[in-house]
Amino acid sequence: MLIDINTWVGAWPFRHLENPTVTGLLKRMDKKGIERAVVGHVGAALYRDPHPANEELARQVKRHTDRLLPVATLRPENPGWLEDLQRCHEDLGCIGLRLYPQYHEFQLTDSGALDLIDAAHERGFVIQVPQRVEDRRTRHPWDIARDLSADEIRLALETRPKVRWMLLNALGLQAARLPKDADYVVDISRMTAVLQRNMQAFIDEAGQDKLAFGTGMVFKVADPALLKLEVLDRGKRVREGIAWRNAAKILRLKRT
Amino acid sequence: MRMIDMHMHVKGAGVEWSWDHNDRIIEAADALGIEQIVVSIPVMRGMPTFDKVRECNDAVIGCMRRYEGRILGWCYVTPGQQQSLGEIDRCLDAGMIGIKLYNQYKIWDPAVHPVLEKAIDEGLPVLEHAGHATTRRFTDEQPNISDAADFVRAAQLYPECMLIEAHIGGGGDWEWSIKALREAPSVYLDTSGSIIDAGMIEMCARELGAERLLFGTDMTMEGGVGKMLAADLTQTQKEKICYRNWEQIVARRRHS
Repeated sequence: MLIDINTWVGAWPFRHLENPTVTGLLKRMDKKGIERAVVGHVGAALYRDPHPANEELARQVKRHTDRLLPVATLRPENPGWLEDLQRCHEDLGCIGLRLYPQYHEFQLTDSGALDLIDAAHERGFVIQVPQRVEDRRTRHPWDIARDLSADEIRLALETRPKVRWMLLNALGLQAARLPKDADYVVDISRMTAVLQRNMQAFIDEAGQDKLAFGTGMVFKVADPALLKLEVLDRGKRVREGIAWRNAAKILRLKRT
Repeated sequence: MRMIDMHMHVKGAGVEWSWDHNDRIIEAADALGIEQIVVSIPVMRGMPTFDKVRECNDAVIGCMRRYEGRILGWCYVTPGQQQSLGEIDRCLDAGMIGIKLYNQYKIWDPAVHPVLEKAIDEGLPVLEHAGHATTRRFTDEQPNISDAADFVRAAQLYPECMLIEAHIGGGGDWEWSIKALREAPSVYLDTSGSIIDAGMIEMCARELGAERLLFGTDMTMEGGVGKMLAADLTQTQKEKICYRNWEQIVARRRHS
């Protein structure tokens, strides 16, 4: 059983992505034996009003809700976000928000952002935050979004420890500095199980329920994350936790 | 499938990486099925003294002896230093199998010519750190880093030299680099680096041919292996990339 908490669909204006649709994502998941995935629409990061991307995502996911868990994107400075949030939850079937402070120019602890996070949390949403979308070395010159700092993420977790956070494409978060009482998982797409062994270090410092399987598809290939699970020198329980159990717990999923 | 990682590093000579002991490299290679690892310790910023260059190579020689048959060595030199050619001879006598250049000079710079001529004379490959920046910060940090266009220029001067452009997955805009390298059929490209973007390895093979590609990790070991597993290539193409091309390069050594 595998649950991928870090997948994306939608066209990315700075690089061609092959078949970045729900159909394309499902095909990739089938090929790699990934049963379920949390998916966001990357177009939402760049639209002035991200909500049409949420609607498009919901349309694509509609017939695949047994496998795909859509997360919406909203921008706290946009008027009407509260009503859009309601629609994402009640009409579109979203289970969380994927926020882009680096593209929508806010800090996670800005009051407007916290209002949005709180309102989403009250609806039972998870909050996904990618530390970055693409590696800064490869970015288009117009893609000047910052990587979120470990401090910005830590501060958000300290400010809202009860929010269910899912941190994507993250590296360099020092587990010992993250609040012990915070409810979060970090996906393993940028971490390692060999050589640097930062997965083991994170588990040792934060506990075995804080890492979750994530690939970064359709931007990235899935095999590196699969290999990490395969070669991680920890017991079956820990590897199962990363493969699906930790994600299922924070997403409040029942095994189907 | 056999795999020879032709682009790796070890810690030593005061150069630290984020693993605690070089034994971790062998553990990782064992876990991932990598047969041999070819390593160097370059000085990554500024112009090192010759004593420092020699210290780096001595540390590599130490690893070659400690992990005999598993770790092989690149001789790192800084062109322009009068002792460079003698240092290459010393390192070859100690069993090294190629020349590593970093970012101290563009690869076509006249200061590099004696090193390239030495490589031709000895039948040695030359692996040079490379990247095509998409942001000013990248070039500000490494003003003399070579990109694919620089390799094209060097290859026009020395078409018989076995030049290897390093880490397509660690050198900025990979689409730009691959397309630029089409102009230099004598230049190889290694697959290493932390970028595991979908479609990257396939584009390398499509535009340059599998015959010009070499498998490497550059410290991203699961990522390096994973992107080869994921690549939509034939088994024959993968074998060429993962070990056959490298074995052909090594077999071209003269005076051994």
